[in-house]
Amino acid sequence: MKAMRLFPLELRRLLQSRLTWLMMALTVASPVLGLVLYKPADSTTMLSMYLANPALAGGAAGAILFGLLAIFELDRACRSRVDILTDAVVSPLTTALTRLLALLTAAVLTAGLTMLVWLPISAGLIGSVFTGADYVLAYLLLMGLALPLGVLAAAAAYQFTRRADLSIVLFIAFCALSLTVWVGDWQLCWLNPCVWALSDDFSNSRIFRSVAWMRLTWLSALAGVWTLSYLCIRQYGKGMLGSLARSARRIYRPAIALALLACSGAAYAAQPFIDRSNPDLTVMSFYEIPYAEGVTFVRRTAQVFPDTNAGTVTGRASYQFQNTSGQEQSISFGITPGYIISNVKANGTDVPFTVSGYQEYNEARLEVTIPAQEDVELTMEYSGFPQESLPTMQGGKELSSEYLCLENAALSPRVMNVLPGEAGYPAEIEITLPEAMIAIPFGSSRAEVIAENADGTRTWRYETNSAGGILYAGDYICEQIEAGGMTIEFYYGRKHQAVMEEAGAVDAVKAVVDYCTEHYGKLSYGAGDTLKLIQSRVAGGGYAANGASLLDEADFTIANLKDTSKGAVPGEIFIHELVHQWWGLGNMFDDSDGSPWSSEGLTVYTTYRIVKELYGADYAQKYYVDQWQQVVDDYYLNFYVRHPEYLEMLPEAERLNIAGSLSGVRRYNEMPLKILKAEQLVGGEEAMDQILHDLFNRELDPMYPYLTYQEFLDACHLTEEDLNLG
Amino acid sequence: MEIKIQNVGMTYPSGKQALKGLNLELKSPSLIGLLGPNGAGKSTLMKLLVAALMPTEGRILADGAPLEKAERQLKASLGYLPQDFGLFDELTVTQFLDYMAALKGIKNPKSAIQKTIQAVNLEEKAKSKIRTLSGGQRQRVGIAQALLGDPPFLIFDEPTVGLDPEERIHFRNLFSRTAQERLVLLSTHIIEDVQSVCDQLVVIHHGTILFTGTPEQLIESAAGHVGVFWERDEKQEQGLHITARVNTSQGIRCRAVADKLPPYAQAEEPTLEDAYLYLISREAV
Repeated sequence: MKAMRLFPLELRRLLQSRLTWLMMALTVASPVLGLVLYKPADSTTMLSMYLANPALAGGAAGAILFGLLAIFELDRACRSRVDILTDAVVSPLTTALTRLLALLTAAVLTAGLTMLVWLPISAGLIGSVFTGADYVLAYLLLMGLALPLGVLAAAAAYQFTRRADLSIVLFIAFCALSLTVWVGDWQLCWLNPCVWALSDDFSNSRIFRSVAWMRLTWLSALAGVWTLSYLCIRQYGKGMLGSLARSARRIYRPAIALALLACSGAAYAAQPFIDRSNPDLTVMSFYEIPYAEGVTFVRRTAQVFPDTNAGTVTGRASYQFQNTSGQEQSISFGITPGYIISNVKANGTDVPFTVSGYQEYNEARLEVTIPAQEDVELTMEYSGFPQESLPTMQGGKELSSEYLCLENAALSPRVMNVLPGEAGYPAEIEITLPEAMIAIPFGSSRAEVIAENADGTRTWRYETNSAGGILYAGDYICEQIEAGGMTIEFYYGRKHQAVMEEAGAVDAVKAVVDYCTEHYGKLSYGAGDTLKLIQSRVAGGGYAANGASLLDEADFTIANLKDTSKGAVPGEIFIHELVHQWWGLGNMFDDSDGSPWSSEGLTVYTTYRIVKELYGADYAQKYYVDQWQQVVDDYYLNFYVRHPEYLEMLPEAERLNIAGSLSGVRRYNEMPLKILKAEQLVGGEEAMDQILHDLFNRELDPMYPYLTYQEFLDACHLTEEDLNLG
Repeated sequence: MEIKIQNVGMTYPSGKQALKGLNLELKSPSLIGLLGPNGAGKSTLMKLLVAALMPTEGRILADGAPLEKAERQLKASLGYLPQDFGLFDELTVTQFLDYMAALKGIKNPKSAIQKTIQAVNLEEKAKSKIRTLSGGQRQRVGIAQALLGDPPFLIFDEPTVGLDPEERIHFRNLFSRTAQERLVLLSTHIIEDVQSVCDQLVVIHHGTILFTGTPEQLIESAAGHVGVFWERDEKQEQGLHITARVNTSQGIRCRAVADKLPPYAQAEEPTLEDAYLYLISREAV
């Protein structure tokens, strides 16, 4: 093919242009924007801050730069009238294809160069949780593939219009769409993929797959559009339509364009990542399904086989019901969108079933008719790629050989309308995992290995009592810590071992649990003698229930553990994050309104108290109280605090930035000082401990279970004015 | 190489008819001069021959095959210098010729480039960036790229524009030598260039061919239609096409062509320029 023969020549010519090198240099430098200016991934994990954001910024800037370069290069031949010479030698179609290949190659070279340049920088910034695989995939998918998209889009615009000015306007508008109108639509934002976080300690296969899907969808779409524009390349003195008619005579050309567009459309419509759950979160129709009359739940068993390479799940579930109605009954199950149900049998006989197209809260409804027999054993098989509901926060259903989280219907279909029997919803779950993974049921259940399989996998089994259930599994390290009169099972990712050891995690857990249990009481969600603390993949927050608490990895990153507003050294910040188990999870706060009273005030205060106990009053005074005082003094002198009317005059982004910073000062410094003042006013540490103990163990209002500032003041018999620091 | 133009007509999308019912046979070896006033259709004809345009009527055969099907073969055997062309300014002369050689698929580009650089007298500028060249030097690069690879069919549109007289003579001779074994089509306004080297002439006017034949035949057709006279009265020029007015010490000496010379004009031997002007003027009447 002549285009391939001419390609090295065109590439060589392209690389002799100063403009090409300028664009390449700017693109290589552009990831720096992700460190200072453009930070779409707002999580605080190291990979989000120092890998995702630079790669995303590099991708967006690089795509725009290479798009402009493509327009300039295509227009240059026309503008300088070299095309008259070249067109007399080779077809303009061949020239266009050759130029595209050269530009794409330059883009690929630039992406490779960027990866080489940023490798040592990223490794240095990210530290011990840096891995080559994450680095390569992030730069390849978040940045690398954006460049060819920019080239294709810009080249297509030029080939359609044959005008540089119009092409630039069209291309910039196309980029602006992605950065504004489409920014929340993960499939449409071709320039800036929806990546909110990358995990440091666990894998990121799900988000990488999602971005790859989006990129390939757009690659196919833009290749199709480019091929259409290729047919419009002006030939034989004809206009756009005349040239199109002429070029389309070779039927394979429009056929390729249409096939590419069809592939893109199919990929868009058949994306496997996000479900179609009702976006109206106030609708909870699945909870209104009437219970099946005379049917009670007896037992559930499930054998789950995750495919950690493909990210899919295959499973068999068996449900035993007692049907005393004497009639057939319709049983509803919630199933994870993405799963396909097959082979549904009741007492060994096939029974009819339907799966609704309607989805709600990441579940579709499976309806099965069970026979009018008293004892019914319903079995079914399910398999598929579990879908998520939040397109802008993908990654929750990560499933790889490093980490998985299967929640409720993702583990096995969840019974919706069957009343529990005398034993509740007893269940026995077996899951087969790679050797390196530990199964951790969320809650008080304990998983044990029941089989070491020949293929190197291990089968785990655990019993639970719920219609759903959550299972975490991963390459975890488990530390057993005796503290507060119970055993703490502290699970954290193997990749985080160095950070955890530097932070003295085990000692911190012991210190916090001992101190908080003694002073405030046991955690309400602790189950008997054990409490699981499970470090989860970045999820935007943690939660706790029934003997287990989830610690979001973002709270324990190297960067966070060096945040001096929370403590003097990483170990103390680790203490701070653990204290949130009492003040934050054990007792909840309404943190949404930005007021100074939040979970941080009591957490910082308690951290100070623990540090004081561990390292003495002088140390605590120097690194905590004096620090708070200094920051608060500065705060009261701040211009915008003294003249808030000027703050209102600032542009919104600037105003929110300053207001957020000031709010942080009030939460992390002013409020602890006020609590310290309250401690003095109520009669000292012991009295304050008693007040906090009573507040921690107070009876909760289920409609508003948050601990308010007023409740705190009332418990101290103080007013807001009493705690003024002025 | 043989090119047959059969009943070719070309009407642009704007409705302008540039060529109509053109029939012509071009066969190598030959150096054909293409003459015609501005807007006559010369450039359109050349664009048709390099497949930059497709005729709206008729057909063009290259070595017996319709141009639509033989476009690739035609381009592979073509050297073309358009009147208005550009070069990649950031490349050196050698790099640009290397680029064009690769486009043409020339197998031994180094020696081919060296040969053409010598042919166009650009040895001293071979390693200079094109942006540093003068207008004449750029024109020579354009001629060089057309000559690259010794294509059997060469089309030059106003090749001597911007060249000094010495260079014009040099290139005239070069074209003549080149045409000894190839088909060369030379379009120019400079009759002198055509007269001295072309063995065949094609005159186009208003999209049709007025004349095909040798320069001698064209000159012969004007015999008895060229005369000189002393200008006494402006009315003398009615019905004549003045081709030259020379101020002398005795008055103004006019040279004119006409279907019928007036009695006060003295018959002269026609030159090629006279013959061409006579042909065009006759058409205008």
